[in-house]
Amino acid sequence: MTAVSQGEIQIATESDILLARRAVREAATQVGFGATDVTRIVTAASELARNTFLYAGRGTMHWTRCELHGREGLELKFVDKGPGIPDISLALQEGYSTGKGLGMGLPGAKRLMDDMDIQSAPGHGTTITVKKWRKT
Amino acid sequence: MSDISVIRVRDLLMVTLPSDPDDATVSALQHQVLEAMQKREPKGVVLDISAVETLDSFFARTVAETAQMVRLMGGRTIIAGMRPAVAITATQIGLTLGKIETALDVDRALEMVARGDGNIGGQK
Repeated sequence: MTAVSQGEIQIATESDILLARRAVREAATQVGFGATDVTRIVTAASELARNTFLYAGRGTMHWTRCELHGREGLELKFVDKGPGIPDISLALQEGYSTGKGLGMGLPGAKRLMDDMDIQSAPGHGTTITVKKWRKT
Repeated sequence: MSDISVIRVRDLLMVTLPSDPDDATVSALQHQVLEAMQKREPKGVVLDISAVETLDSFFARTVAETAQMVRLMGGRTIIAGMRPAVAITATQIGLTLGKIETALDVDRALEMVARGDGNIGGQK
């Protein structure tokens, strides 16, 4: 494989959200996703990168091309050392927000992707991993 | 990266958004549009989003708020040219643009204004 298979973007300023979107757009296009799925993945990345910036101040987005049972996909992992999410199921509720956002980021990103995993320890940070698999 | 372009065409403000604006550009949209409403006294605003590739919740909220503000100032806002992939994604994520009028493209938006039909978006 000649294509780049992973990378990372530091999220520390508002404009890094744009850089994250661009990196994800390029990676998703490389994996071979169609236009609608690319838009879904980039939109999910935008929501999660903004959450990292809003709630943790800074963090990192790692993207990796992955494969499972012959299906190609893209994994995005958002890691921060912020305050953490005290109640994950509450945070996944539509419209729930601690006040900084709209309350749509996390549930919205979950719906746009095939898989979402949230690991969070209050006071230690949050790691959110999302995956999308290419169709056929 | 291109900025937002705001030009006056007849009685309207034509606002064209770049394909992937950063948050600061999106926030500037509101300010630029409202200022132009006051200075140039148009009947309404046509927001051309045909280049926009990603409409996330922040962007959508800003657009919806801007339309609301334009309405408070006595103008109407028509959003024109949403791409199919963007419409699919926005619907899936649960984003609504409130009661803002929409048009397939700028041409249809101008037609709506020329005909003076204020009911296409479901309200006057």
